[in-house]
Amino acid sequence: MDRQLDSNGFQAIRSLGILMTILGTIDRPGGFRHKAPFPRPIPPCPKPPNSPQGVQPNTPLDGMPLGWPSKPDDLFVDEQGEAVRIDKAFSWEYPLSVHGLMHNVITNAWRGDPYPIDTLLLFMANMAWNSSMNTENVRDMLKDKDENGEYKIPFIIVADAFQSETVAFADLVLPDTTYLERHDAMSMLDRPISEFDGPVDSVRIPVVPPKGECKPFQEVLIELGSRLGLPAFVKEDGSRKFRDYPDFITNYESSPGSGIGFLAGWRGKGGEKFLKGEPNPRQWEMYQKNGCVYHYELPKSYQYMRNWNQGYLEWARAHGMTRYVEPITLHLYSEVLQRFRLAAQGKLPGKQPPERLRKRIIDHFDPLPFYTAPLEHKLIDSRQYQISALTQRPMAMYHSWDSQNAWLRQIHTHNYLFVNPKLAEANGFGDGDWIWVESPTNKVRCMARLSEAVEPTTVWTWNAIGKAAGAWGLSPKANESQKGFLLNHLISEELPPCEAGEYLSNSDPVTGQAAWFDVRVKVYPAGKDEPKVTSPQFKVQKKVPGQDPQRGKWQAYFAGMFRRKHKLD
Amino acid sequence: MTQLALVIDLNVCVGCHACVTSCKEWNTSGWAGPMTDQRPYAEDPTGTFFNRVQTYEAGVFPDTETYHFPKSCLHCEDPPCVPVCPTGASYKREDNGVVLVDYDKCIGCKYCSWACPYGAREIDEKQRVMKKCTLCIDRITDMSLPESERKPACVLACPTSARLFGDVHDSDSEVSVAIREQGGYALQPEWGTKPANHYLPRRKTRIQIHEDELVRADNPLKKEQLPSLPEGGETLDDVAW
Repeated sequence: MDRQLDSNGFQAIRSLGILMTILGTIDRPGGFRHKAPFPRPIPPCPKPPNSPQGVQPNTPLDGMPLGWPSKPDDLFVDEQGEAVRIDKAFSWEYPLSVHGLMHNVITNAWRGDPYPIDTLLLFMANMAWNSSMNTENVRDMLKDKDENGEYKIPFIIVADAFQSETVAFADLVLPDTTYLERHDAMSMLDRPISEFDGPVDSVRIPVVPPKGECKPFQEVLIELGSRLGLPAFVKEDGSRKFRDYPDFITNYESSPGSGIGFLAGWRGKGGEKFLKGEPNPRQWEMYQKNGCVYHYELPKSYQYMRNWNQGYLEWARAHGMTRYVEPITLHLYSEVLQRFRLAAQGKLPGKQPPERLRKRIIDHFDPLPFYTAPLEHKLIDSRQYQISALTQRPMAMYHSWDSQNAWLRQIHTHNYLFVNPKLAEANGFGDGDWIWVESPTNKVRCMARLSEAVEPTTVWTWNAIGKAAGAWGLSPKANESQKGFLLNHLISEELPPCEAGEYLSNSDPVTGQAAWFDVRVKVYPAGKDEPKVTSPQFKVQKKVPGQDPQRGKWQAYFAGMFRRKHKLD
Repeated sequence: MTQLALVIDLNVCVGCHACVTSCKEWNTSGWAGPMTDQRPYAEDPTGTFFNRVQTYEAGVFPDTETYHFPKSCLHCEDPPCVPVCPTGASYKREDNGVVLVDYDKCIGCKYCSWACPYGAREIDEKQRVMKKCTLCIDRITDMSLPESERKPACVLACPTSARLFGDVHDSDSEVSVAIREQGGYALQPEWGTKPANHYLPRRKTRIQIHEDELVRADNPLKKEQLPSLPEGGETLDDVAW
């Protein structure tokens, strides 16, 4: 099970890490192997800004947007100890939220807590549908107005390659490209595709030109950075530094002359260096010639026990992958966690949590891992809502953003709720019956599919098969909207009010990881007279100017006849 | 005589449908295309596929198993679909045993689909001809492709290598060895169709370690030729955007 998706996930994963450490399986054959650029120092070095002074008008952010606080003074909080960021990341509510809390941005902005915003820019996140918790209410927040009749979130920009549910809420749509139409870098600075035996990174190179007015979102960001005059994007005289995204990937260096850039392969003037070296003007060409992949195989003696492998660590230091040639010691007892706990206990000078959060920090920042029931379970009527409800992507469309594709949608045209026959029988419904699934905050109507492959106190369904009527270029009567459904409506993005706060995110109290799998539900048959359609339903999303006209009843693709229908007669 | 066929390992198939979509991607543009879709973006979409994956459950919780069963034409050695064809459109190639349909001769009478006990044939409702798996005949016979790519698209796409391809009449081929040694079986042998495709059953998974993996061939005490290191300087830990 993916323990990261529960509010007790951090300590659960940490206990697994400690178990592996005690067993001595870290970076050994058959154990948990590292992939470059890991292992990194513990705690990692980069830090977020740590005071409101880090954010000034018309000034670049002072520090990394994301980082790893290792002590209370690293937290991004104001003098009252409250959050500075719109998602409240790196605050006492979720101190080590190294990924941010995207799932709370809209709710926080709508409430104006910690501050109202004038512009919301969304990319590659379907926040009016399957990327949000509490979807039905989040959709309302996106169009809600204040007492003066002004929108609470006044300007929404959405970059998407498709007519997603979120695009319907946009004031400005930036039509994005697909992978086939743009350059991309799977960089050592982000999440490369490294193998156990050494660093690997890769690129995408476009194979077809963009359609219509579509523009790769990377190009939009380069344009924005250049026009805003952000230091990385302009020369000393303030003029533009990079022509476009490929130019940026080739020539960007972490600081002038550092030799560290996005791509590890074929660096140096003639492509003779790797990982570190001057920008190579022909780097893209060299990736293309090598199947778009760079792979450096480490000497055998550098491939194992890398936390404590002096040869490897010296190599990693020399190639800019780590700052210290020091053993990277795994923490059985975490001094980092203990510092936050000591502060909450009033035993450490410096930043202090607000009173309401002291107990929560003391409870959850245990320097040794422990088990506790998910937060939400302690705050709801657990006798009424006893069943866990989970959701995940189907294999046939695991990473596809475009599951409305004519072939993929024939594989999964709509989803069911998978229910153990014993649970179904106890609740008075059978296979294929219409049922209600109700959580403490909302309910959905859907069809049940009985399955012996599901644990009797758990139900689950495919995620993001259900779509809003008219979205994704599908007909308003498409099965995805009429028979498909979204479990997200049942999952709250906030916890019920408790002593730690009125509006806490439904997340891990250490890392802010969204607690997707904590929702508890009950299931019961839908009434005989109810419509045989999933609920909730939304107003049909209309076609927009420039969208393909009504598509035909038949389609037959032939390669080389892109975008045209094959003449069959 | 050569009899090309697939051997599909039900112990390994995870039901990801990569074979389904890669089949359609290759064949819609190829010799046997197009693979037409009806109501592609509307209610109840349907269309022609040469290969589908069906999923079954067996047992009672917690002793449950989920089976993913990829299904396509079995290229029978004695195919019942061939003799029933009134126009000779349905035929079995003599050189490699692949069963094919000549669309120019097919009148869409569907006799072949009635005769096939496996439900492997699908009428193209638009073109009004019968379509089915060709084992990617235009790939496997294309001598301009490197030999490693002269395989059906589904075989090349399978991420778990659950699909093997080869000559089941060659007793030394990979497919024949798999059938012989891994309990390979044909579907519904009682029909006497002698399907060329075989399935490998669910079975106990045994770790496969070869002798040479247990004994180090290299000398672990030998001094390795290690790379010389460049100067230090900035690192990823210093990257500060």
